[in-house]
Amino acid sequence: MISRLRYTFREMWASLSRNLTLTFAAVITSTVSLFLFGMTLLIQEGFDNQLSEWTGGVEMIVYVKHGATPDQITYLEGALLSQTSVVQSAEYCDEACSADLATTLLAGDPGALEQLLPGIPSLFKVTPIDQGSGAVLRSLKAEFESLPNVVDVKTPDEAVETLSQLKSFFGVRTLVMSVVLLLASALLIWNTIRTAMFARRREIEVMKLVGATNWFIRLPFMLEGLLQGIAGATLGSAFLLFVNNDWTKGVRGFPDNSGLAGFVVTDSYPVWVCFAMIVLGALVGAVGSATAASRFLDV
Amino acid sequence: MIKLENVHKIYSTEVTALRDATFEIAKGEFVFLVGPSGSGKSTLLRLMNRQERPERGAVLVAGRNINDMPDAKVPYLRRNLGNIFQDYKLLANKTVFENIAFALEVIGRPRHVIRQQVPAVLDLVGLGGKQERFPHQLSGGEQQRVSIARAFVNRPLILLADEPTGNLDPATGEGIMRLLDRINKTGTTVVMATHDQRIVNMMRKRVIQLDRGTIVRDQARGVYE
Ligand SMILES: Nc1ncnc2c1ncn2[C@@H]1O[C@H](COP(=O)(O)OP(=O)(O)OP(=O)(O)O)[C@@H](O)[C@H]1O
Ligand SMILES: [Mg+2]
Repeated sequence: MISRLRYTFREMWASLSRNLTLTFAAVITSTVSLFLFGMTLLIQEGFDNQLSEWTGGVEMIVYVKHGATPDQITYLEGALLSQTSVVQSAEYCDEACSADLATTLLAGDPGALEQLLPGIPSLFKVTPIDQGSGAVLRSLKAEFESLPNVVDVKTPDEAVETLSQLKSFFGVRTLVMSVVLLLASALLIWNTIRTAMFARRREIEVMKLVGATNWFIRLPFMLEGLLQGIAGATLGSAFLLFVNNDWTKGVRGFPDNSGLAGFVVTDSYPVWVCFAMIVLGALVGAVGSATAASRFLDV
Repeated sequence: MIKLENVHKIYSTEVTALRDATFEIAKGEFVFLVGPSGSGKSTLLRLMNRQERPERGAVLVAGRNINDMPDAKVPYLRRNLGNIFQDYKLLANKTVFENIAFALEVIGRPRHVIRQQVPAVLDLVGLGGKQERFPHQLSGGEQQRVSIARAFVNRPLILLADEPTGNLDPATGEGIMRLLDRINKTGTTVVMATHDQRIVNMMRKRVIQLDRGTIVRDQARGVYE
């Protein structure tokens, strides 16, 4: 067992270092493709954060005065829901919930957040019966504004619509691009392993003749591919974390009214994305090398 | 030990490499396969270690039909067979010791076994002091001895040799034959394909002669003709 491990790692290492150019190309391609994949996820998350008020068909937000009593809130809910031909639901989000939302939206503008939190209003997320009644809902804006304890009524502006469109535009295209690049890196790893096996065909011939099992012959090559995938993913992850950090810092320097204070990802999400990238990189490496190793090893 | 029953090997519609080959080789026998170039000698040897499969007929090794053996079992079959080739098939970037150790290592033999068995088999083939040399630092005869040591280090039941003296001068070839004879005397069955008339006549072993894929003679203590 020990001698087998020693053999496997020695051969893998020898093959890696003999094949530096190809290994380098395969690793770089995995780096770029996995970086792009991670970037896609992060950008989507950024959009989601920026648009977090408006998810689930919400088309109007009614802000309620900080410190409003339960009775006052119940009254307001009744008033909102009385518009039965337009309003489907009015979901209440209390002050703690509202603070969470603000934290996401103002992640890139800590100063503004600090000012807002002490007197934070609670809010109702109002969903119209269907998309078509959104305009009708907006026409009720003035009426809702005049209700007692309502401090503000907000409807999505053009910027929000633009962002939604951008989100789906980027989402599809960058995802397709990263899948294509991932395929390319699997192919490159496949080719690297094939080349490595071809370079060692004499050894492989001897191994087969003296009765080495196919798994024994394959294993170092498969590990080599796996390692390339993981190396690419690790580099890509490091790069992604760096870029994310840089962007977040950049957003904090934007003017206050840029409307992009929520367009950052500051929680543990990037770490999960990196984890996904490494799993994906390992998978791409394993699949690429396993196909090559099986394909060129007929008994 | 080895038994062929009505074996047909067809490479393509034009080439029938073996036609209805039937013979049996007992344990401990020494058998020459002779015949003109292209008559099917190498094909016969390759059928015996499952490098090839016949279109028809059975190849039995140690009582088992190896043609319907699952692929995953083939490596274990081969651990009981030693192969020797005209071109030695040594690995140029490994020393004599490493070449033989490699064959043990890749079938999972532990290090202490390797350290003990490699020098022993090198002594047996008469290469005691040369284990740190690389193949290019050896004569052809010495290289063939390394390849015999590699084939024999695992104490296989059968040695399959494809023209092992083909690249050697007569005196060196004779030395190799004496070595194979000694190995044969330890009980190992030896099957050797050869063109070498002199050697066949010298050894006076069983001779199976092929002509365009057909066995035309099977003679105990035979000569080349
Ligand atoms: N892999 C192959 N594909 C197609 N035809 C082959 C293959 N191997 C051998 N043959 C053909 O099968 C026949 C027998 O070949 P084989 O190599 O067994 O002959 P041989 O007796 O060993 O010849 P030699 O003395 O030249 O080594 C020949 O006609 C050869 O051309
Ligand atoms: Mg031949």
